[in-house]
Order: sequence, then structure tokens, then C-alpha cells
Amino acid sequence: MAANIIETSGLTRSYGDICALKPLDLRVAEGEWLSVMGHSGSGKSTLLNIMGGLDRPSGGSLRVGEEDLLALTEDGLARFRRDYVGIIFQQHHLVPYLSAVENVMLAQYFHSVPDEAEARSALERVGLGHRLKNRPGELSGGEQQRVCIARAIINSPKLLLGDEPTGNLDHKSTLMIMELLRELRAEERFTVIMVTHNQEVATWGDRTIYLDDGVLVREERNEQGES
Amino acid sequence: MALAYKLIPLFLAWAGAVMVLGRGFPGRRPMVAVAGSAGYAGGLAATFLLVRFLPGDLPFGIIKDAVGAGIILMWGVSVAAVYRSTGRDVPLPWGERFAHTRLGAGICALATGILVGAICACRFTGADASVPVFLLLVLAAVVLACAVLAAERFFFSSLTMYPSGMTVALVAFLLLSSSSILRLDLFSPLTMKVMKFAHDFVHQFFESMLIPDHFFFNSFTWDFIGFFFGKQVGFWGALIIWFVPVLLVALAVNLVRLPAVAHIRQGAQRRKMLAAAIRERRSRLVVPALAAVIFAAAVYQSRFPSVEYWDPKPVSVTASPSGEIFIPKKGEIDLEDEKLHKYLFKQGGREARFFVLMAPSGQWTVDLDACAICKPDGYGQAEGAVLCYYCRTLIPLDTVGKPGGCNPVPVPFTAKDDGIHIDGLTLINRWGETVQATTRIKETGK
Amino acid sequence: MLFRILKNSFLKRPKAVFLVFLSIAMGAAVATAFLGIAGEVSHKMALELRSYGANILLEPAAVEGGGVLHEEDLPKIKTVFWKYNITGFTPYLFGVAEISSGTKRERGVVTGTWFNKQLEVEGEAPTVQGIKVIAPWWDLRGRWPEAADEAIVGAALAKRLGTAVGKELVTTVGGRSRRFRVAGIVTTGGFEEEQLFAPLVTVQELLQKQGKVSRVLVSALTVPMDDFGRKDPAGMNKDDYEKWYCTAYVTSVAKNVEEVMAGSRAKPIWQIASAEGALLKKLNGVMIFLTILALGSAATAVSTSLMASMAERSSEIALMKAVGADRFQISSIFLGETLIISIAGGIIGYLIGDRLGVFISRTVFNSTIISPLWLFPTAIISALVVALAGSVAPLRRALLIEPVRVLKG
Repeated sequence: MAANIIETSGLTRSYGDICALKPLDLRVAEGEWLSVMGHSGSGKSTLLNIMGGLDRPSGGSLRVGEEDLLALTEDGLARFRRDYVGIIFQQHHLVPYLSAVENVMLAQYFHSVPDEAEARSALERVGLGHRLKNRPGELSGGEQQRVCIARAIINSPKLLLGDEPTGNLDHKSTLMIMELLRELRAEERFTVIMVTHNQEVATWGDRTIYLDDGVLVREERNEQGES
Repeated sequence: MALAYKLIPLFLAWAGAVMVLGRGFPGRRPMVAVAGSAGYAGGLAATFLLVRFLPGDLPFGIIKDAVGAGIILMWGVSVAAVYRSTGRDVPLPWGERFAHTRLGAGICALATGILVGAICACRFTGADASVPVFLLLVLAAVVLACAVLAAERFFFSSLTMYPSGMTVALVAFLLLSSSSILRLDLFSPLTMKVMKFAHDFVHQFFESMLIPDHFFFNSFTWDFIGFFFGKQVGFWGALIIWFVPVLLVALAVNLVRLPAVAHIRQGAQRRKMLAAAIRERRSRLVVPALAAVIFAAAVYQSRFPSVEYWDPKPVSVTASPSGEIFIPKKGEIDLEDEKLHKYLFKQGGREARFFVLMAPSGQWTVDLDACAICKPDGYGQAEGAVLCYYCRTLIPLDTVGKPGGCNPVPVPFTAKDDGIHIDGLTLINRWGETVQATTRIKETGK
Repeated sequence: MLFRILKNSFLKRPKAVFLVFLSIAMGAAVATAFLGIAGEVSHKMALELRSYGANILLEPAAVEGGGVLHEEDLPKIKTVFWKYNITGFTPYLFGVAEISSGTKRERGVVTGTWFNKQLEVEGEAPTVQGIKVIAPWWDLRGRWPEAADEAIVGAALAKRLGTAVGKELVTTVGGRSRRFRVAGIVTTGGFEEEQLFAPLVTVQELLQKQGKVSRVLVSALTVPMDDFGRKDPAGMNKDDYEKWYCTAYVTSVAKNVEEVMAGSRAKPIWQIASAEGALLKKLNGVMIFLTILALGSAATAVSTSLMASMAERSSEIALMKAVGADRFQISSIFLGETLIISIAGGIIGYLIGDRLGVFISRTVFNSTIISPLWLFPTAIISALVVALAGSVAPLRRALLIEPVRVLKG
């Protein structure tokens, strides 16, 4: 396997007295697809947010690529997020008053400069070439999630984070989204870390870790035979 | 205190110029500091000496011409910058290559220093221009330069300097300082010149067209033509002459092509490069934008000078063998600028101070620089009036030349097309009578 | 892209945008109106002080009505020592008359005066004297009277009489009447607006006071009064006396003029104007205070409505942050929004405030104002200041939003 893109040691995160993440050592290899499972409140979302530069750990060390996330300022973290990370949310979180293509362009704008042609082709890649001008409210859940994916990959991130991206979708849409992500990963070679409740979704990854109460309790390698 | 206040624009311009130089020659800060300060001291000293030993307004004329040359240089550089930015290959930049050498940077700093120093010196006239003042000024300038260069390192690293921007910025600071001194003001003479030029041009145009009457020029057209004769045209014309180079530099920055990025396959990388190029271009625009602000400040200072009296230094004149003093209308001093011009006439151990003035009505007058009552402290000129230095009484311009009151004592003269002719003996005698009379009043009391 | 974001954000939330726009426009309008009035008041004051402050009023020395000045003394004013410093003077002769225009009849003051009279004095260059010289701030619609039967009417009197330029008036005093044609209507901002001005000779004839003048206003270029000028000349040494004598203090010019006008007493008018000036200054202070108050409350209103919309938009901001927007980018979006609104609000506010100022000054101060040019940038700047002050707190809040908390679940 290639070099590790993420290395943590003794990573903790506590909110006041509540300890969401107990000291955690984790390595993620470059290009790996890691599924994170656990109950609600097991700390899996916290871990994801910390690795995506959205949240700061309380202690320990965290390296993503060449960046030491604990050393970055707030604007440094913003730069890290736009250059390194693509995030897919369960709730999609699209800007309601912007069309699909504008939502993708928004990510381009914060990253560098908007490029409409490129944003269109990204939407075409996720199969939304026919709904470029629609606002999020006019799209189905699966379609919104695909806009979200197009937005997440537009800046060629090294790291794609999914926070239960299929949590709100029916089975058929879930399969389509997972298939799409697999295809995109084959082309773009990014690392995927996906938090999920769903055992079936988790098996799409190379490896699954199980968190409970902020502690890594189990780790298993998945057979690559799913499809 | 008032003087310190008046020095603010001068030292501001000095600090700005040093800052620009430091940014423009990043590797050569110490050298820039030394050359600039040396130039400042030299310019200061030379101007002090020139003002002392050269007659009249000549030294000021030299400095004005030098700053004017700066404006012309700025025009050349900005036009060249636009030309080059269109992608045409110009083998030109020997000047630019030279400016990048050690010597080039030094000379640039030296020249700037000399000009700033010379302008600064013009604030001090007469007895003020002494050795202690000189030392104090140089000390202040050197300290300021060092402080600015030390601070410059921490000043917006994204603000980059480039040849055309640097030229514009330096000229802007020079104009800022020169326009703060009434007699070095370049903007007002420029407006006059533009106005005269427009006037002459229109005049010539109509004469050469040999228009017998207004056959095809209806009144509307005449109104339009009338605009060219107005005072406005000078102001706007001068404004254009000052600001166009700045705009050209900004245009040149904007015209510089963005890097070719089509070959980069990955969209994110391609956009990153574009964004970096655009950001750099924007940061380059800051220099012309700031320069434009400084230009505007200079124009403002020139249009609304802080209350200051026009106080020319008397120029020595001599009489012809026939005893006649002749003062040409055109020449070293432009008599027709509606300002009073002082002269000093000496003959046989006696002397007389007088001034020549063209009133706004176009009426010429020659008067003693003294009135019939007060001590002969002389007159200056404020807006719309002549001011007696002794009692601070304002005398309306239109009544200057009439005897009586606190008005200056008129002297008989003849105004011809070429200039003013005055009889030397009459002048000396009238001065003698007047000053004797006022002195006698002083002795005998009321 | 920024513009697309802003455009869509405006279209999406017209109500919130309109609220912010309204408070900014109100603030700018009030600032424009009040500052316009305050500026106009001080402008008028400056104009009057320039003429009054350096001016001299000549009145009959005899206090009981009988005293008059004589017109034949007037040219002597141009022969005094300070003749060159006297830039102009105008005689006035007052009388109360019955003025009728068409069917309307009003009692009013008829003033005989010089408008722009060519004055020939032996041994001196001819000069032009009269109201036109001495009161350059008079705003005249129409033209100055040229013939003996032409008059100009103060704006207030003209309104009461319902007369206009070109119409005819009849004035009656003690049975004698005289017909005048209205050459112009004048707005001065003062009591002159209640008077009728006609050539001196005509009014002298009408009032049966040939060769008489009730007062003379003299405008002189003087040196500001200082401690030295207030000293008693009698106690001065030679040098001081010489200096005092050749200095154009208003008192010395007044003394000078008084000597040549028989039976007159001259007083510098600044003594009269200063009480009025102090009052106006206080009024100005109140105006500026009110303006600041209005701007402050507008900023508070902006702040409140932005704060409310910020709460509504917190998920949007959190999302932008999650996608990688830094603080500068977030600020530029939100400040860009408020700046656009505030410029629009400033322009509208200026237009409203301009009208408001005219209305207020007409109803409250009974005078017209011409809004000066500097009001427009002032309106825009005050709008920007209101917007910036109002968006400090909301922006701070936006920058403090933590994407993790807002986007959770």
C-alpha cells in the first residue's frame, strides 16, 4: 500500500466533561476506502469532522497529507478544507437559492475561480446533465446527493468524507450513489472515509472500523468481492 | 508649530518615496537608504544655496522643470507599459535592465532624494535656510527613511512593485510634496497652459478656416465651442494629463495576459493557477490606485492651498543708459499671471522696491512696495486682494494703483506690447519721498 | 460568482433586504435633510456675517423719528481715507404703504434703494453701488429694476399679493399712489422677503421725502477685530497709534464714514448679528445631534434585521465554511450585500432627504434652501457608515459560526 494520508496518535476530543473521542491511533493509507461504523454518539461523526478540518481535536496529533492540523489557524483550516477535502453530508446542505450548477460553482469560487463549463461537466459526470438549472428544492433526494458529490469532487480533493451520505435515501438510490462514488474513486484516486450506520454500505469500503463511546473497538478488512 | 504642520506633506512624501524605493529594490535596501538620504541632503543644500545666490524665481523654476520632467517620464513609461502588455515584444528595456543593476537602483534613489530634498528646501526661505535647519532636516529625513525601511518589511507582502507602477508612485509623491508649496505648484500653471493652448488652437483653427461669418455654425455649435474657451477646460485638461498615465499603468496591468492553463488537465489545479494570477494582477493594481489617490490629494492641495500668501522674492533689475527700466511681459517671469511681481532697483547707493501687477480687469499697475502711511514692510497677495504685511489690511485688487488709504503708492509707467517701461529716477525719488515721509511720521508721532 | 450569489440571495429574501434598505434609506434621508438645513443655515450665516460682520450701519443720530440722512452726502463715502476698502454701500428709505395687486390689498414696507447705480464722484473712478454689490447672496428671479417704475418684491410679500414677474402693483401712501411693474421676485432668507424694493428716487417722491435716506449699509473689507483693535487710541504710543491708524478695523472704518455723513451714527453690524448667530449655532448643534441620533437608530435597525436574517442563514454560512470559505470570503459576501443595499439606500435616501429638507425649511424656517453639492456624497457616506456600523455585530456572529454544530444532523 502507498504512504498513509492520515496519521493520528492519541487523538482526543472532549466537549466539557463529555469525552467524545478517547485517545485514538489511526492510519489511513492513500487511496483507501475506510468505513466508520458505530452507534449514535459513538464519536464517529466527531472523528470525521476532525479529519476534515471542521473541528479541532482537544489533544493528540493529527497529520493529513503534509498538514499538521493542530498547528493551523482558522483561515489555515479553511484553506485546508478547500484544497484537500470534499464533504458529502447526509442532509445535502445545498444553498437553497442557487441552482445545481451554481452550488457546484460556489465550491470553485471559494477554492479559486468559478468555471461554469467545468461545473457543468462535473454534474454531467454524476448523471445530472439535464438538471443543471434546477434549484435544490426541485430535485429529489438522490439527485441532491449527486449535486453534493459533484460539489465535493470539483476541486479534486485528496480526501472525500461522507457523513452518512445515504442515510436519507431509499435502497435503489443508495446503490446508485455508492456505485457512482466507486467509479469516481477509480478515476480520481481520492481516499474515502465514510461514516455510516448501514452494514451493507460499510462493506463497499476496503476496511471498516467500529467505534463505541469514542473508542476503537474493532477493525475488519472487507472482502473486495461485493461487485 | 505652523511650520511643522506645513512640513507634514513633505515628510509624508519622503516616507512614501522611500517605501516605494525599498519595495522596488528589495535586495538593495541599505543602498537605497544611503543613496536616497544622500540625495535628500544634496538637494536640500543645493536648493538652499541656489535660492540664496540665484535671482528671483529661477531655482524654483528649475525644480518645477525637474518635477515636470518626472511627469513626462511617467507618460513615457506608462505608454510603453501598455504597449508591452499587449504582448508585443519590445526590445526596449535597457532602462529597465539598468534600473535593476546596483548602479541603476542607486541613481534612482539618488534622483528621488535630490528632488524631494529640493522641494523640501523651498519651504524654507531667507533666514530660515540656515545650517542648523539643514542638519535638523537631514537628520529627520534619515531617521524617517530608516524607520520606513525597517517597517516596510512587515507591510503587506502581497503589494508588489514593478517598474511602471514604481514610476507612477514616485511621481505621485513628488507631486504631493511640490503641490503643497505654492510656488512649486505644477497643477495651476498646467491648467493655464492647457487653457491657453485650447484657446489658441480654437483661435487658429477658426482663422485658418477663414470663416467669413457664422454660416454653418449655429448658436448651439458656438455654445459648444465656447466651452473650449472656458476656465473648465484647463482644469479638466490638466486633470487628464495627470491622471491618464496612472490609468494607463492600471490598464497595462489589466492587459497582461493570464498564464496559459489549457494544458493542465486537472480542473482544480488549472483554476488555482488562474486564481493566483488574478490575485497577483489585483495586487498590482493597488499601486496605481494608491497613486491616483495621492494625485487627487495633490490636485486638491493645488486647488485649495492652505491659506498662504503669494510672497515673491524681489528680483534685481537695472536701468538702461537712458535711465529706463524695462520689464518684459514674457520671459523668465510671466507678468500676466495676475500675481504681483516684486523687483529691486538700485542706483547710486539708493534703492527702491516696487511691484508690477496685472489686475483681473486686465489693468496694469506699477507700485512701490510700500504705502504712504505704514512702515515699508511691503505687500503680499491673498485671494482677490493685496495684503499689507505691516497692518494686515486687505486691499482689493481692482483698487491697487490708486493713491490714498493704505494702498501702495503708484509709480508712473508705460505699458507697451512687449512689456512695462518705468523711469528709474522717478522711481527712486518717489521711494525716497514716501519712505522719508513715513519715517518722519514715526519720529514726530501723531 | 460573487454577483450571482448576491443577486440570488436578494431575490430569495426580498423582505429582509427591503427592511435593511428601508432603515438605511431612512437614516440617509434624515442625515441629508438635517445636514442640508444645518449646512444651509451656516452658509447663509457665513454670507451674512461676511457682509454684516465686516459691515457698518449708518443711522440718523437723532433717535426720535425726525432724524434723516441726506442723499447728497452719499458720494462722500467714496472719498474717505478707507475708500478703497469700502467695497460697496446702499442707501435705504423705508415707508409703510398699502400695496395692491389686482383685487388683493396688503400693507407692506416700501423700500427705496439703489440696485446697481453708476456713481460718479469727482476725482475718483466711477463705481457701481447698490444692493447688487452689497448683497450678492440675494436670489433673484427675474431681473434687477432698470426703469423708475420697476420694482422687485420679496418672495413672502409676492406670495401674499399673488403677484408674479411682469405683473403690475399699485402702492398707496397718504392718498398718493404709484404704479410699479414687478421686475423680479427676491428670496433672501430674511426680513427683506416682506418688502417691496423700488428705485430710491421713486420712493422719495412717493413718500414725499425728497433727498432723504433712512439708513445706509456699508460693506467694507476689514481686518478682524483683535485685542489691539479694541484698545483706546488715546492711550497709545506713537508706533502703536500709527499701526492702529493704518489698520482697517471695522471701528476705524465706521468712524471714518460717520464723519462724512452729516447727522449720522455708524455702528458695526456684527454687534447686532452676533446674538442671532449664537442662536443659529445652537440650532446647528441640535441638528447635528439629531442627525447622529437618527443615524445611530438606523444602524441599530440595520443591525437587528441583519441579526435576524443571520440566524436564518446560519446553515448557509456554516456550509460555505465547510466547503472552504475563509473569514475574508464570508465577510466579502455579507458586506458586499449590505454595501449594495446601502448604496441604493443612500441614493434613495438622498432623494427623499433633499425633498424633506426643502419641505422642513419651508414649513419650519420659512425659507428656501438650495441643497449643496456635498450633500450627495454625505448621504452615500452616511448610508455606508450606517450599514457598516449595523453589520459589525451580525458579521461577528457569522464569523463565529461553527459549521460542525450547525450542520449536525
